Amino acid sequence: MNHKAWISLYGLLIRTSIRSRMQYKFNFILASFLAALIQISEFLMVAIVLHKFGAIQGWSMYEIGYLFAVMILSKTLYRTLADEVHHLEKYLVTGDLDQLLTRPMPVLLALMPQNFRIMLGEVLQGGFLLIWSLGGMMAAGQTGWEAIPQSLYIIVTGSIILFSIGLATATLGFWTTRISELQNITEDAAGTAVRYPLTLYPKWMSTLLLTLLPVGFVNYVPSLYILRGELGPWVFAAAAAAAGISLALSLRFWKYGITKYQSAGS
Amino acid sequence: MMIHMKNIRKEFKTPVVREGRFSGLRTLFSREYITKEAVRGISFEIDRGEFVGYIGPNGAGKSTTIKMLSGILHPTSGEVSIGGLNPHVDRRKVVKGLGVVFGQRSQLWWDLPVKDSYDILAKMYSVDDIDKRRRLGQLSELLDLQAFWDTPVRKLSLGQRMRSDLAAAMLHDPEILFLDEPTIGLDVNAKRSIREFLARLNQEFGKTILLTTHDMDDIEQLCSRVMVINHGAVTYDGSIPSLRETIGLPTLITVTYRGTFQVPAASDLAQLPISIISAEGSTIKVTANRREINTLEVMKKLGEWGELDDIEMKDPDFEEIIHKVY
Repeated sequence: MNHKAWISLYGLLIRTSIRSRMQYKFNFILASFLAALIQISEFLMVAIVLHKFGAIQGWSMYEIGYLFAVMILSKTLYRTLADEVHHLEKYLVTGDLDQLLTRPMPVLLALMPQNFRIMLGEVLQGGFLLIWSLGGMMAAGQTGWEAIPQSLYIIVTGSIILFSIGLATATLGFWTTRISELQNITEDAAGTAVRYPLTLYPKWMSTLLLTLLPVGFVNYVPSLYILRGELGPWVFAAAAAAAGISLALSLRFWKYGITKYQSAGS
Repeated sequence: MMIHMKNIRKEFKTPVVREGRFSGLRTLFSREYITKEAVRGISFEIDRGEFVGYIGPNGAGKSTTIKMLSGILHPTSGEVSIGGLNPHVDRRKVVKGLGVVFGQRSQLWWDLPVKDSYDILAKMYSVDDIDKRRRLGQLSELLDLQAFWDTPVRKLSLGQRMRSDLAAAMLHDPEILFLDEPTIGLDVNAKRSIREFLARLNQEFGKTILLTTHDMDDIEQLCSRVMVINHGAVTYDGSIPSLRETIGLPTLITVTYRGTFQVPAASDLAQLPISIISAEGSTIKVTANRREINTLEVMKKLGEWGELDDIEMKDPDFEEIIHKVY
C-alpha cells in the first residue's frame, strides 16, 4: 500500500470509530458537553491567575495566555488524531492489542483511530485564548500578522513532540503494563509546567523540559522569537528538529517495545 | 513446508508488583522479576493442506504458540517461519496470508452491523470489490450469515458471532488458518455448523488449519493429526489412531453367555491379558488391552468359558485417552 491508501484507511477507521460512538448518542453528547465544561472551568482558573498576577517574570498576561493556548491546541491535535496511544494501558491489560497485531498494517496506524475524539471544548478554549492573546499583542504592536502562520506551525510541531512523549511513555507499558502514573508526570505535569515561562523553574527542571521531555519546544522556545524577537528565526528549525528527533526516537522505542508485548492469558 | 517452528521458547517476565503509594513507578524501576517459562523448546512442521489439532490443558502454552505463529508474541529464542517468512520480521506480509480467530475475542466492530466489518476488513486487506462480493456470497452461503447481516455485532448470539468471525478471517482468502478455541461455549448445532465449514475449507479449498480446542469431538471429526502440549512441551505428535494405540487404554467387553459359564481359576486368569470387572447372572464384563491381545484371541478365550450369546465391545473414549496424555 502507498501513503495515500494508508491515509484513506486511517480516515475510514476514524469514520468507523465515530459511527460506533454514535450508537450511543446520548452518552456521546453528554461526554462532549462535560469535557467542554471541564475545559471552561479550567480556563476560568487561568483567567483568574492571569488577572491576579498580570505579569509573571516579565511575561505579560497576553504572553502567558499565548503559551497556554499553543499548549492546549498542540495537545488537542495530538489527542484528536492519536488518543488511543494515551490509552494503551487498556490494550495491554486486556490483551486487545492482539487483534491489532494480526492486521496487515502498522500497529500504530491501527491503534490511533480506535477511539476518535471530537475535542470541541479544547478547540474552542484554545482557539479563544490564541485569538485573544495574539489580538491583544497585535493591537499593541508587539507582533505582526506573520505571528498567525508561525503559531499554526508551532502547534503542529508541538503536537508531534507531545505525541512522541506520549508514545514513549506508553511504550514503557510493554514492560510495566501499568503506565497511568508515569503519564501523570511525562504528559500531564510536563504539559502543565510549560504553560508558564521556563525561567520560572530551577535550572535542572528547565533543562529537563528542554531535553528528556522536550515540551519546552512546543511553546516556550518558539514564543521567545515569535512574541519577543529573542533568539532568531532558527527557533522554527529547532522546533522541527525537536519534533523530528523525538518522533524518530519514540517510534524506534515503540518498535522495540512491541517485541516485548506479553499479551494476556485466555 | 508451510509452517515451521524450531526450538521455540517463550518466557514471560513480570515485574514484582509493589504495593502502596507510587506502586506503578516503583514497579517500573524494580529489578525484581518473576520469570515463567510458558513454552519450552517446541519444534514442529505443518505441511500445506494439513488439519492439525493442538490440544492440552489450560495454561499448557497453546495460545502462546498460536500467538507466536501469528506474529503477536515474539519468542524468547528459536525459529518460526510461515511460508518461508518470519512473522516477526515481515509481520505485515505474513498476516496477509493468515486468518486468525480467537474464540474468546471478536475481531469485528462491536457496535456496527456485521456487514460493515467486512467492508472495513476488505479495505484493510486490499480485497477489491469484485472479490469481496464473490467471497462474501460464498461465505454467507456456507455459514448462513444472511439472517443477521444487518445486526450489530454486540447483539449476535455467540454462535452467530463465531460464524461472522470465521467469515471475517476468510475474507482475504488466506492459505493458513489459526483457530484458537473456535467452538468454545457453543451449543451442539452451532458446533456442528462450524465443524462442517472447517471441514470443507480443508477438504475442498485445501486450507491449512491449526486448531486448538478443549472439545475432543472437534479433534476426532476434523483433524488428521493431533499435537498434545503440556507444560510448554509437545508430548505427542501424530495421528489419532496411533495416539489411541500409544496410550493403549483397555477395551471394555461385555459378554452374555447362554446358560452358565465357567471362569478359569484365579492363577490361570492372571496369565491372561484379560481382567474381569464384574460378573452377574449370565453377563460378565471384562477389559482387555488390544495392544497385548487381539480381538479374535479375546473372543476365543471368552468362548472357552461358556456358550457365547452376545458380545459388545467399546473402545475407550477419546476424552479418556486425552486425559491420560495430560
